[in-house]
Amino acid sequence: MSAISMDRRNNLWEVTSRTIVYAAIGAALYGILLVAQLPIPGSTVSVRPAFAIVPFFGYAFGPIVGFFTGFVGNAIGDQISGWGALTSWNWSIANGLVGLIAGLAPLYLQRWVNGSTRDRAIGGAIAGVIAVLIGFLFVFTDNILQGLDIATIFSTLYVPVVVGDLIGTIILVPILVYAWEPVKAQLGR
Amino acid sequence: MNIAPRYLGRGSWLARRDPRVLILVVFFFIFTVLQIWDARLVFGLLIISVIYYRTAAIPWAQIRRNWTVVFLFIGMLVTVNMLVAGGNVEAMPEGEPDVLFYFPLLGTPISAQSVSLAVTQFLRYLAMATIGFPVAFAIAPSDFGVAFRRLGVPEKFAFGIDLTFRFLPSLSADFQSTVDAQRIRGFDWSAGATGFLTRVRRSTPVIVPTVVNAIAGAEDTIDAMDLRGFGTGRRTWLRLLVYDREDWLVLGFFVALLVAATLGGFLGTSDELWTPQFLIDIAQG
Amino acid sequence: MVVASGASGEPRPETAPPLVEVEHLSYRYRRAAEPAIRDVSLAVHPGEVVLVAGPSGCGKSTLIRAINGLIPHAYSGELAGAVLVEGRLTTELKLRDIARTVGTVLQDPAKQIVGSMVESELAFGPENFGVPREEIAERIREVASQAGIEALLGRETAALSGGERQLLAMAAILMMRPRLFVVDEPLANLDPATAERLLTLLRALADEGSAIVIVEHRVEEALALAPDRVLYLDEGRTRYLGSVDGFLDVADPSAVRLPFAVVAKRAAMAPAEPDSSRGAEPAVKGPAPADAAPRLEFRGVTAAIGGTQILRGVDARLGPAEVVAVLGPNGSGKTTLFRTAMRLLDITGGSILVDGVSHAGRRTAELATEFGYVFQSPSQMLFARTVEDELLFGPRNLGRDPATFDELVADSLRRTALHELDDIRSRPPLALSFGQQKRLALAIALALRPETLILDEPSAGQDHRTAEAFMREVLAIPGLRSLYLVTHDVDLALTHADRILLFREGRVVADGPPKVVIADTARWTACNLRSTSLMEANKAWGPAAGPFLDADTLARRLAAQRPTARSGPGREAEGVDC
Repeated sequence: MSAISMDRRNNLWEVTSRTIVYAAIGAALYGILLVAQLPIPGSTVSVRPAFAIVPFFGYAFGPIVGFFTGFVGNAIGDQISGWGALTSWNWSIANGLVGLIAGLAPLYLQRWVNGSTRDRAIGGAIAGVIAVLIGFLFVFTDNILQGLDIATIFSTLYVPVVVGDLIGTIILVPILVYAWEPVKAQLGR
Repeated sequence: MNIAPRYLGRGSWLARRDPRVLILVVFFFIFTVLQIWDARLVFGLLIISVIYYRTAAIPWAQIRRNWTVVFLFIGMLVTVNMLVAGGNVEAMPEGEPDVLFYFPLLGTPISAQSVSLAVTQFLRYLAMATIGFPVAFAIAPSDFGVAFRRLGVPEKFAFGIDLTFRFLPSLSADFQSTVDAQRIRGFDWSAGATGFLTRVRRSTPVIVPTVVNAIAGAEDTIDAMDLRGFGTGRRTWLRLLVYDREDWLVLGFFVALLVAATLGGFLGTSDELWTPQFLIDIAQG
Repeated sequence: MVVASGASGEPRPETAPPLVEVEHLSYRYRRAAEPAIRDVSLAVHPGEVVLVAGPSGCGKSTLIRAINGLIPHAYSGELAGAVLVEGRLTTELKLRDIARTVGTVLQDPAKQIVGSMVESELAFGPENFGVPREEIAERIREVASQAGIEALLGRETAALSGGERQLLAMAAILMMRPRLFVVDEPLANLDPATAERLLTLLRALADEGSAIVIVEHRVEEALALAPDRVLYLDEGRTRYLGSVDGFLDVADPSAVRLPFAVVAKRAAMAPAEPDSSRGAEPAVKGPAPADAAPRLEFRGVTAAIGGTQILRGVDARLGPAEVVAVLGPNGSGKTTLFRTAMRLLDITGGSILVDGVSHAGRRTAELATEFGYVFQSPSQMLFARTVEDELLFGPRNLGRDPATFDELVADSLRRTALHELDDIRSRPPLALSFGQQKRLALAIALALRPETLILDEPSAGQDHRTAEAFMREVLAIPGLRSLYLVTHDVDLALTHADRILLFREGRVVADGPPKVVIADTARWTACNLRSTSLMEANKAWGPAAGPFLDADTLARRLAAQRPTARSGPGREAEGVDC
């Protein structure tokens, strides 16, 4: 393994003040927008444009920020809406996995991640799609936890959520990448 | 729009418990319920969860809406599960179900067993939700970080939870002013957009500025944390959490419940679906 | 570079070694073409107060970061020279170790605060250093009393006012017991009472042997701290380092806000120049005749936010051709007033009339074609890929004719002087500088072709010089007939407004020309407003009606009137300052 990829690996999992602040901001934003857009506590079954924040934060700031944004953000959304942060903990994990997988994009989408702004925007959408499809598989744990049938979970939970969130992801993640890149360049650290 | 956790149970008996108790109880209880399919026992668990819930003294008037939504949501899921899947669940007893009728269009057999299953699922879901509610209303928001820290979550992430609560009010105010700024430009974000795509596209004028400004504004907060030594060594937490006798009693009770449920599954029939005889009688005419 | 010599310019003879030594420091940020500071040297000893003054972009922030170690530990770039903290190079120390000596209060306390509760914010530093719990609790008691914030204990930080946040941010640094305090523009958002408390606290710390480095361009206010020395920076270079007196002789009054007496003295000494009213004649002119029909009228308006009554019966008439500034303490309802006018917030009683007609049936966006409302922070509404799309967002939402768009964009850009920037139409709005974004926010409001602009805190995030320049630009916008602004910047309001509405506890307590409104000193102070030296000077020598003169113009006018410096306004003005 080359020194460069070792470096990248370390960066991906490094936890600094920056990681924690971005993670907390991502989670707070996701929680706020969940509640602002969707007054149905606990329900994950709807179109949630805010969901794009999860793959975006993962993709832009790494798997740890992504996981925290999805996991804590979903729990906070449940908490504020009154459902209780932990009641649907497996759904929070599913959300977290989406952010995590999107954050691993440098491992499976090097070409896009290291390309132009346009490439990075497209890469964000691809990573988001992969992350949503895989991450939400975790909701099949409702089979054990709630005794729901696999077919029920698939048709009433997985498919509607995944379809809704894929649309949000494909449209909004590239827009967010485009909006963020010039600002990032200005921060100049 | 008020986006903030509502600490409605403040001062109640349950709110005076160590916050770790409320968190642990959710997990003990969920894993207890998981193992029980006998509706009579599930009903017992529901009673326990309601008693527990009552000790949080959450004013009913302020969370009536939350409960309505819970009932609708659970009812919807359980009904769909019954109609679509007709009870193809491993918990179903062996043998032929006693069919009451066939559901029109789908042709799903609705049996004494699948109805019992739906009712049991409903009660199980309800019991879990009831145990989970106090986490939302009877833990001080500022206690979450330290509670999770003491439950073994790494220090930086535990503090990240506190920081998330810290950002909620300021970011939701920023979000609100972005919504206002766009309203002035003739954009009413909350106006009913129906289609999938429209709704997503229409959210960009509020989501993009909110997200980008929040991230760009993070620099000072990051500096403020670095300048005060965040993450450079083992930290102390000002808030001291100690289990008292009542905390131990609550924990002991729910652990006992979990143990009993586990044994009941091995030794007895608590993990098997119970179908009331009268339903079978109806099916058999 | 001017370095004052003589006893007052040098630090007192100290036996104690310096806490911080900056030696020939130059620094260039990684992505920048030019260094942010060049060859700056400074030593700070225990017990000293050093004022660092200069306009935005002078290198103050970079100097602070070099002293507290963020440079080189959190920023990447090219560093030349050296910074030593208690005799050790910052490059060889860890941030954690530097923080034991140097405590930094950042410019925006709202962003520095990381705790949800006042106690958790206070505890944050010591917690990170592993200080035992009992000792943290003990320190909280001590610091709360030292900083006078006992009343804040137990409160949520989100519910604090700007002034309370600033005190809390300061207290959180006190908790770490540093020996040197670096305080970045602490007076930016403070009312006079809180400012005095903070300055007293800083002075006391210095008297007890701590060192203070205070960065401020509000020199007039910062002088109350009786700094031992002043470092005056401009464009990254040291313009002056030495005593206060020497500094006041060389400082540029347009770059930093100086006491009026100083400006007057300098004008008196300068060769007499004719009163050069700068720039073009403002487009927004003079107060309307008293009988003119009001453009915006409030009749007994009441409004509440989240159950809290904010407006308690406001009666006010704002004319079609005047500049009106709304002043008042935080939470008095200044901003809420215009939010109700724009129907961003519904009123609970009374009525609001636009050109004599109730605005009840009109949508916010329609009202925006009458009143261009410009928010405090420009970036909070920017989302489009290009400036052109951003400008056309409003007109498109309102269904305007696309055939007019090209001219509309050109016109809005021209009126805000943005057309001077290359390829401005296709630039991403979020990549513009803060100043450019402020102008873009104006252009966006103007794209709906209002005759009136409403500005919420136009000077926020800007120093004296840029805020002044921004106001002059706004007033010169062609086609604009009236301007209403909400501000806490007293001098800005008084020097530009024909009329002042003074707010207190949800009511208008005074309404009239600047000179009339400030006449009642007790009422002015009760509104928690500062009495500036410029204000006092205008009271004594300024025009009877209309906006006050800015320091420079007034000083020149006085100098021209009475050219002998001895018996001239310089001395009288000094008297006023005291």
